[in-house]
Amino acid sequence: MVMSSVGGTRAGTMSPVDRAAHLNRWRHRSLTEKAVLALGMLALAIALPPFPAAPMVAVAMMTAALAGARVPVMVWLACAAGPLGFLLVGALSVIVRIGPGGLGLAPDGLMLAACLMARSMAGVTCLLFLALTTPTTDLIAGMRRLGLPVEIADIALLMYRFVFLLGDTALAMDAAQGARLGHRDSRRRLRSLGILIANLLPRAFERARRMEIGLAARGWNGEMRVLSRRTAISVPGLALVLAAEAAVAVIGVLAS
Amino acid sequence: MTLLHARGLTYVYPGGIHALSGLDLRIRAGRRLAILGPNGAGKTTLLLHLNGTLRPSSGEVLLGGETAGYSRAALSAWRRRVGLVLQDADDQLFAASVAEDVSFGPLNLGLDEDEAARRVDEALTALRIADLADRPTHMLSFGQKKRVAIAGAVAMRSELLLLDEPTAGLDHHGTKHLLAVLERLEASGTTLVFTTHDVDLAYAFADDVALFDGGAVLAQGAAAEILADEALLKAARLAVPLVLRIGLKARAAGLLRDGEALPRGKADALDLVERLLGEIRPG
Ligand SMILES: Nc1ncnc2c1ncn2[C@@H]1O[C@H](COP(=O)(O)OP(=O)(O)OP(=O)(O)O)[C@@H](O)[C@H]1O
Ligand SMILES: [Mg+2]
Repeated sequence: MVMSSVGGTRAGTMSPVDRAAHLNRWRHRSLTEKAVLALGMLALAIALPPFPAAPMVAVAMMTAALAGARVPVMVWLACAAGPLGFLLVGALSVIVRIGPGGLGLAPDGLMLAACLMARSMAGVTCLLFLALTTPTTDLIAGMRRLGLPVEIADIALLMYRFVFLLGDTALAMDAAQGARLGHRDSRRRLRSLGILIANLLPRAFERARRMEIGLAARGWNGEMRVLSRRTAISVPGLALVLAAEAAVAVIGVLAS
Repeated sequence: MTLLHARGLTYVYPGGIHALSGLDLRIRAGRRLAILGPNGAGKTTLLLHLNGTLRPSSGEVLLGGETAGYSRAALSAWRRRVGLVLQDADDQLFAASVAEDVSFGPLNLGLDEDEAARRVDEALTALRIADLADRPTHMLSFGQKKRVAIAGAVAMRSELLLLDEPTAGLDHHGTKHLLAVLERLEASGTTLVFTTHDVDLAYAFADDVALFDGGAVLAQGAAAEILADEALLKAARLAVPLVLRIGLKARAAGLLRDGEALPRGKADALDLVERLLGEIRPG
């Protein structure tokens, strides 16, 4: 129902990650279910022997993100590309060894690289799942419930909000410069960028000052208290998560 | 009854800009007041004085007859009674979702969670944004953000609500709808004060007008009187509202019936013109 009301919204600088986090089908599943799934699977991927547990975790978490929460495949791939590229390079350096006779294969290198890749990929799928199904603000609220000090949670929340405000400002300034031919050649482009960056800081301070006035007008007295809608934990949902994890654990131990 | 009284307010911004110079203004309970002035007149600066955000370099603000103080406790009591909606909604929204954001003010009032939740629902329904309740505030259009900011103030049910250019940037439909919401809020006991440079809006919507330029109130009185005074408006770089001008011309030409009121909104003016056309060409 969230998906359907999105048409016609100006999304500003919202990143694809954030958009996915807000608009996926599991947005309103309880944070507990999602966190137990992602962190539990992550723990299994690290603790169990990598084969077959790690590939199982990776497949399970991809399925959860793409088929369960319906995160757009392109967004998932775009987010996974960075860490996976990094992993590949890392794995190569394990396989290849510089010996006396030049480049050669390291003994056990292939096996080691496979283990490394499988575990890391499983880890990436777990964290991506959490990042793409759960908005940052939900995560902050959850950490607050787990005992993160109120002040730190408030600062994190305001920083998050400011990223978007400043991002919008930067985009608008960039567009304004472009409209006045500030990007005509590379020299001018560089100069324009310098001006933009130099102006962003005073604007950030000005924004913060105005936000303080705005919040004070609403009776702010130092604590950012809001009513958050906490979704009740679904017992079948949580049971399913735990069952899946138990299955991975059992198969992971027996089949290794 | 005077809710708020500004007496001889003077304010100089750091940097030496004289934004207010000896300003006097009275806000009466139940009288809708438009603070009318051109860009740069000092309207926003004035509103920030009326809720205690800025402190005048000389002069004072009286709240219900008593000089308002600037201690933490005094300011907190002040803002309970006087709400403010800023020109830029982005300056007042911060929370993760619309519903959470609107709950901020009621919780600051010390209401319990059930009452706060009720106020949130009510405010969202009144502004017809209940369907946006779970939307993050940075995923909204300009007009939607504006409505969320106003909902946040409405949920606090203050005695007096100050609105800085509430209709600026809203389309025709959005403006009409907002004015209807404000009318309902007024019916529940909140006195409305808004700033604008739109003479037509001031004439159509306000009971009283304070004409404002160069950091001082040039004149304050009933909307129909102030806005008919061409010389006065000219001094503030403004003009007589079109609808009022039509009415005044008709009256001067003897075309209004005995006791017939001057047209107030565009619809009234249109009715008048149609009636007059009908009289010229009967049948
Ligand atoms: N933060 C500030 N620092 C210095 N000068 C300011 C500041 N804010 C406003 N001013 C100056 O004070 C004067 C009054 O500004 P103000 O914003 O109150 O006008 P306004 O009537 O609200 O205008 P507008 O219709 O454009 O919103 C202007 O000359 C403005 O340049
Ligand atoms: Mg202003």
